[in-house]
Amino acid sequence: MTTPTAERDEPAASAPLISVRDLTVSYHVARTGATLTAVEGVNLDVHEGEFVTVLGPSGCGKTTVMNVVAGLVAPTSGEVLVDGRPVTGPGPDRAVVFQDYALLPWRTVFDNVKFGLEMQKHLKGDGWRDRVQEAIELVGLSGFENSYPKELSGGMQQRVGLARAIVAEPRILLMDEPLGAVDALTREVMRDEIEKLIAATGKTVLFITHSIEEAILLGDRIVVFKSHPGAIKEVIETKLARPRSERSVQSDPRFLELRDHLWDALQAEATEAAVAGGS
Amino acid sequence: MSVLFATGGPRVARGGLAGWLAGLSTGGRAAVIAVEVFVVLLLWQLIVGYWGIINPVFFPPPLAIAQGFAEIVANGSLAANAAVSAQAWLTGFTIAVIVGIPVGLLMGASLPVDKVVGPIAWTIYATPAIAYQPLAKAWFGFGIGPVIFLVVISALFPIMLNIAAGMRTTSPSLLRAARVYGGSQLDLYRRVFLPSTVPFLFAGLRQAVVLATIGMVVAELSGSSSGMGALIIRAANTYQTDQAFAAIGVVVCWSVGMTGLVTLIERRVAPWTRKARR
Repeated sequence: MTTPTAERDEPAASAPLISVRDLTVSYHVARTGATLTAVEGVNLDVHEGEFVTVLGPSGCGKTTVMNVVAGLVAPTSGEVLVDGRPVTGPGPDRAVVFQDYALLPWRTVFDNVKFGLEMQKHLKGDGWRDRVQEAIELVGLSGFENSYPKELSGGMQQRVGLARAIVAEPRILLMDEPLGAVDALTREVMRDEIEKLIAATGKTVLFITHSIEEAILLGDRIVVFKSHPGAIKEVIETKLARPRSERSVQSDPRFLELRDHLWDALQAEATEAAVAGGS
Repeated sequence: MSVLFATGGPRVARGGLAGWLAGLSTGGRAAVIAVEVFVVLLLWQLIVGYWGIINPVFFPPPLAIAQGFAEIVANGSLAANAAVSAQAWLTGFTIAVIVGIPVGLLMGASLPVDKVVGPIAWTIYATPAIAYQPLAKAWFGFGIGPVIFLVVISALFPIMLNIAAGMRTTSPSLLRAARVYGGSQLDLYRRVFLPSTVPFLFAGLRQAVVLATIGMVVAELSGSSSGMGALIIRAANTYQTDQAFAAIGVVVCWSVGMTGLVTLIERRVAPWTRKARR
């Protein structure tokens, strides 16, 4: 049931949209003078329209990989190609949804969603107003255009984050534990909504999560990370039919099989991490 | 004691005086405060004015202060001195704002500037304004000059240092978001750093109002022939303590009023901070 490497049989020999090649990122820690390797030798191809979930223990470097793809962190060695071109910085083809929402507290919902377009200088003419409004409707926040972020629940704030990401129509959505700070009930509802939203828009998604269920429910493929140093442990195809929903999938034998496998993989990883951390 | 216990145990419902106070509307709460003030003033009046337990020369009763207020209004000394003080205060505060905001922004934006200006600013800020008063007389003579100087030096640093702190504590996650969406360096400053510094600016302004008023009175207390501080010291020296208290009351009203004005402006300019405070 598992494919040991990142390679997979593509029906067509199309070039991957995101190509992470032998990526290593290390940081220099000023305080101790040591060099910390966040990720080492990561190879991953993501094809157009694919939903890839990234699963791993804390500190395994999965966010670092996403930051390199986003253009926020430069690789120490190796490279990331998006649509065949090396990533040298952020670009309008990629948008990020952050775990802590990262909404501007002094802006209303409408103005926060507008922010994505504004930074890319897309505010000429009148069309942008409709695009902002459409994005707000798409995430189900109609009527809250003039609310400030702190007047909204965590789930609603993340909907704003999602609308801000999709309004600029990027090809790639990078989601860094977007539901990590949301309460359990809202998380289940929003998983289903994200699944529907992505299916409708056909975006390519890299989705980081701590949750095994989330990784299975949303992903076409699941990339499992290990830590010390951060690297890919294995890549699994979920092979579950879409559309999926929380309730339909959870009784599927394939889901249970995947969950057991991922549990074992992560538990071994967490134990190792605890031992390494304690030594 | 019953008030203390009312909010204590888990089984005790919120009752008694505490519960009653908590349940009051805004108007009701204002009425309670008004009654409180009235009771205090009444007791004060009785103890000093009626029973004469304290010598009224040292601690004049409320009605005498009201009379003193009427006197300084009638003989024109309040208007004349208040005008001088207001002029010095407003001039000094304006200078502090004009200098403090850009320097604070520079300190927040540039580490070298912060390293050079920061220690000097903190040193001056940490020194009581009264210590500069004799020097101010030597430098600026006996007119309005030393008063303006002390207002500036009192108001400048809370504004400057709060703004610098505001810039530096701008959320890294907001900056990252702005960069992800393609924001330029200028965008980061205009759209992220500046707006997130606004609440710090107003916090600094509120502190500056109070400190500027203290600086003003301190400067006027000695060697000045006019201003509210001069009025207070002259009245006290001639045993007209009722007039002195009336003048102090006016200064308090100015300080509280200007702080309120700053808060009012903040609510207009930065409505998103409104719920954060309460």
